[in-house]
Amino acid sequence: MDITFEHVTHVYNPRTPFERLALDDVNLFIPSGSYTSIIGHTGSGKSTLVQHINGLLKPSKGRVTAGKITIDANEKKPNLKALREKVGFVFQYPEHQLFEETIIKDVCFGPMNFGVPAAEATTRAEESLRLVGLPSSYWHRSPFDLSGGQMRRVAIAGVLAVHPEVIILDEPTAGLDPQGKREILHLFDKLHKNFNLTLIMVTHNMGDAALYSDQVIVMAGGRPVMADKPEKVFAREEELRKIGLDVPETMMFLDKLTAKFGAGQISPVFTIQETADTVIRLLNGGLENV
Amino acid sequence: MVRIIEVGGLSYRYNEDQPWVLRDLSFSVNKGEWLAIIGHNGSGKSTLAKCLNGLILPQKGTVHIGGFDTKNEKTIWDVRRMVGMVFQNPDNQFVGATVRDDVAFGMENNGIPREEMIRRLPEALRFVKMEQFAGSEPHRLSGGQKQRVAIAGIIALQPLIVILDEATSMLDPEGRRDMIRTMRYLNRERRLTVLSITHDLSEAVYADRMIVMNQGEIVREGTPRDIFQSPEFLEKIGLDLPFAVKLGHVLYEKGVPLTDAALSQEELVNELWTLRSNM
Repeated sequence: MDITFEHVTHVYNPRTPFERLALDDVNLFIPSGSYTSIIGHTGSGKSTLVQHINGLLKPSKGRVTAGKITIDANEKKPNLKALREKVGFVFQYPEHQLFEETIIKDVCFGPMNFGVPAAEATTRAEESLRLVGLPSSYWHRSPFDLSGGQMRRVAIAGVLAVHPEVIILDEPTAGLDPQGKREILHLFDKLHKNFNLTLIMVTHNMGDAALYSDQVIVMAGGRPVMADKPEKVFAREEELRKIGLDVPETMMFLDKLTAKFGAGQISPVFTIQETADTVIRLLNGGLENV
Repeated sequence: MVRIIEVGGLSYRYNEDQPWVLRDLSFSVNKGEWLAIIGHNGSGKSTLAKCLNGLILPQKGTVHIGGFDTKNEKTIWDVRRMVGMVFQNPDNQFVGATVRDDVAFGMENNGIPREEMIRRLPEALRFVKMEQFAGSEPHRLSGGQKQRVAIAGIIALQPLIVILDEATSMLDPEGRRDMIRTMRYLNRERRLTVLSITHDLSEAVYADRMIVMNQGEIVREGTPRDIFQSPEFLEKIGLDLPFAVKLGHVLYEKGVPLTDAALSQEELVNELWTLRSNM
């Protein structure tokens, strides 16, 4: 399902001394089935932006359309329950929201909350737990005996069991160790590819944004200042630096190397293998063949 | 060299019917040293940290801080005064309504006279470059700034040892760089003993020595350069090598005759530069 922002402005605490403009006339299009990363400095409006997609926030001006549902600043809020069934939200540190006695019950809570009968909810919960790779021997244990990475996967299974078409991920790997990070990112990559899920990921990690997504939106001062393919966005290094953002480590390294070698700018690469190949070309062929 | 921390045969488990979280650990830390303790989530790192200031006591073995046994109730407050801790979540560590109040809180709690507090407070804030935020409310600060205020609160108590337990893992890249700079300053300029507990190997690059933990045991010990020589091992236990080390290995495999084990991007750039000059 396509997501569209039309002239969306959001003001926190309007007409108070704490009034703050968080989104400033935002126009955006996120196509169905895409994997979009949203990057930007702390306070750039990333979280405010994504909270409009499932109706957690209502625009102060303009309108947001997700599939057939529209939230317009000037109209009453539509049926948000229907919207939230379609748009799942994995918050930061989602494991803090686990509460049930057993893992399976916790995962069932989401679908049952949307009126799915118990038997069907259990079937979905089992499917979801299999998807996130939690063995069935765990299902009847307490979620609180799991490691941090496992707890996060249970929380994600809870969102998947609702069968959303869109999932919003707010810093999905924060606080996890490297292996936990890899597992979560591979999981979402798989979900995106196998089930055609639309993914919207808020992240501070430029490397992840570059490697996994097909669209990168750069937020600054409450506006999307770039929205394009990763290789296009990260080629605009100077502009990114100006708003306090990094480029992926692969490019940071090649920048240092080309500066030392006196070579010109290199087109963006995001994997270690590509970086190594570029380094070798630089070593062998000099500058022309890069 | 003065051994400021001595751990001998330390074992700990949270419950009798659960496995040991720490198994027979022995190591020591010299005064002024920076030791990084690395391991994946659940490897026992944080439990170890809690043993080092007597928040929990060894069930087997001993922990000595500055010569004091943490099991001795009479000296436990001497131990805690020597060891300052910064935890993972910057939002869980604030009690004061302003940055100034927050730094004063710890001193007040430790019975430091008012005149002395007035003297130490600006010094501590200057130290972490937060003096212009003295009157700010903590919730208006960024994550990295909050962690620096937490460090100022500790510095004001003049500890000998600072333990940072995953203190950078919840920060954005800029906050992380900020904290690593502050840690280096603490250790190099102020000669404080620093223990950084982390799963981020790029943070551990700056340590003098590293201890690698897995399933409650010390599985490796050495300088970062030594430890990064075995990338397969580190990856097997769920850790990720620093970018420069990974790239160095891939280049070597592809036939680039690298000799030095470069740890940082700068080192690798310099090595490649030298290599090209000799081609």
